[in-house]
Amino acid sequence: MSRAVAIVGSGPSGCYLAQALLKAAPELRVDLIDRLPVPYGLVRYGVAADHQGTKGIVRQFERLFERQGAGFVGNVAVGEDVSLAALREAYDAVVLAAGLSGDRALGIPGEDLEGVHRAGRLTRALYEHPDAEPLPELGPRVVIMGNGNVAIDILRLLAKTPAELAGSDLGAGPSAWLAGSAIEEIDIVGRSPAAEAKFDAVMVKELAKLEGVTIRVIGAGASDDPEATKKIAALEMLDGHATGARRITFRFGLTPVELLGEGGRVGEARFRDSAGATVALCCSAFLTAIGFEAEGLLLREELIGSAADREAGVIEPGLYATGWFRRGPRGTIPDNRADAQLLAARILADLDARGDAPEKPGRSAFPDWRSIVDYDGWKRIDAAETAAAPQDRCRAKIPTRETMLALALHREELPQ
Amino acid sequence: MNIILLYGTETGNAEMLAEDIMVELEGEHTVECRSLSDFDPGEFDAGRLHMIVCSTYGDGELPASAQPFAEALKASAPSLSGIHFAIFGLGDSEYEETFNFGSKGLAELLAAYGAAQIGERVTHDASGSDMAEDLAFPWAARIVALAEEKIGEIA
Repeated sequence: MSRAVAIVGSGPSGCYLAQALLKAAPELRVDLIDRLPVPYGLVRYGVAADHQGTKGIVRQFERLFERQGAGFVGNVAVGEDVSLAALREAYDAVVLAAGLSGDRALGIPGEDLEGVHRAGRLTRALYEHPDAEPLPELGPRVVIMGNGNVAIDILRLLAKTPAELAGSDLGAGPSAWLAGSAIEEIDIVGRSPAAEAKFDAVMVKELAKLEGVTIRVIGAGASDDPEATKKIAALEMLDGHATGARRITFRFGLTPVELLGEGGRVGEARFRDSAGATVALCCSAFLTAIGFEAEGLLLREELIGSAADREAGVIEPGLYATGWFRRGPRGTIPDNRADAQLLAARILADLDARGDAPEKPGRSAFPDWRSIVDYDGWKRIDAAETAAAPQDRCRAKIPTRETMLALALHREELPQ
Repeated sequence: MNIILLYGTETGNAEMLAEDIMVELEGEHTVECRSLSDFDPGEFDAGRLHMIVCSTYGDGELPASAQPFAEALKASAPSLSGIHFAIFGLGDSEYEETFNFGSKGLAELLAAYGAAQIGERVTHDASGSDMAEDLAFPWAARIVALAEEKIGEIA
């Protein structure tokens, strides 16, 4: 018996799930379906361009397709090219691993002013996601609102000198945008005290390598909690780091109240501190990095809200969810690996319980799907990107769907 | 030679490398591959070579699958005299201050209970240009040759 499993989303959660399923049951037919023509989701478009070590997990996922027999079905949007119902009809199990790609809104007046940008949209532009908007003009004074690892990623990339980006996969366009930026000052503002900041201490320590900045940390506070103490110690170490002209200031315990502007463009951000006093920061751009929520064609709230066993990742018999799509926007890549391994065990047990029920057709139920990018198609894109990499980059990403598809769908003439 | 490959992993990279080393060695040797989280400190065997592949996570900490092992080791505090191990580390020099602290800490812990390390601890850098297996396969071959001199007769 070879059951068919469809995983919607080929980011780390989907890939780890496929890996765990195929390790335990190599005979399964597992397809990873992605709305993009390229796999790996967050690893390609969310992990920072200068964190190539983190992207090393792709080598595991390549093996998934090259040796473990998983199929890549790229350029298929569930909810548009195929309905979730049709997918469930064709596969013995369907798993939603689509992540959370929408930016949470701050919900304060002035958020729609020009010059206010959300982290996910900005990083998609930086990392050349095919649906990205053009990179915006930020001006000389940037405020980053948020204290998670994404906020630190943005801070680090905005602060780096061009030489510090060597070895990354930051594209030519974004690299030129950063090199030409007029940023003189970056304030990074947390609503909570530093002790409750969501970023990891190691992300703060990494900032001590920046070569063109002067860093000030205001009000890091103190804590009895060992994890919080590490963060505070890392911030204190960073305070006074002076290697260049670009000024970076960490501020904590400031609740955003409103954004003010002239002529429709943001010029000032107002906060309230813990004593109730108003704090105003001048800014030419205000970036929000305050977390993610569902976006797109899958109706997550509905699905997860009515889940039979949300904790186990079971929405209904035969329909599952894993990763951020299940849990919400908390936890790192290894957390999602652990999540996927637990769900894999559950799915295998459920499939086993089906006994002799006839197996479903899987991918072959959709003979008329057009313009699908399979794994070989992706490898053609991958090869082109690697070959085009300039000397100080490890890859030159292809930024448009059109070019991706032209490369992926090109078929070599078959010998007679 | 009788070899057990033990991995401490967080993202799965160390697990994959340990499995690759097993495939590399199992033609000529008896090899088993297991997560450190499934290995009890009472299972150390003087007739066996213990090859460990261990990553580093967070702020220089042991990866998730090595932590319960380290706790169990500290709790039982066994004498590991006569036990031979070798260790390969995975790390990321982007975090230079704690680069490869996981494998370093684990090697020190085993040595503290009297286990003898064979060969050098070789480390891979995820931000470098080498493939992990290009460092690990020659390391494994050297370790096995050294171990054959030391525990070959017992095994």
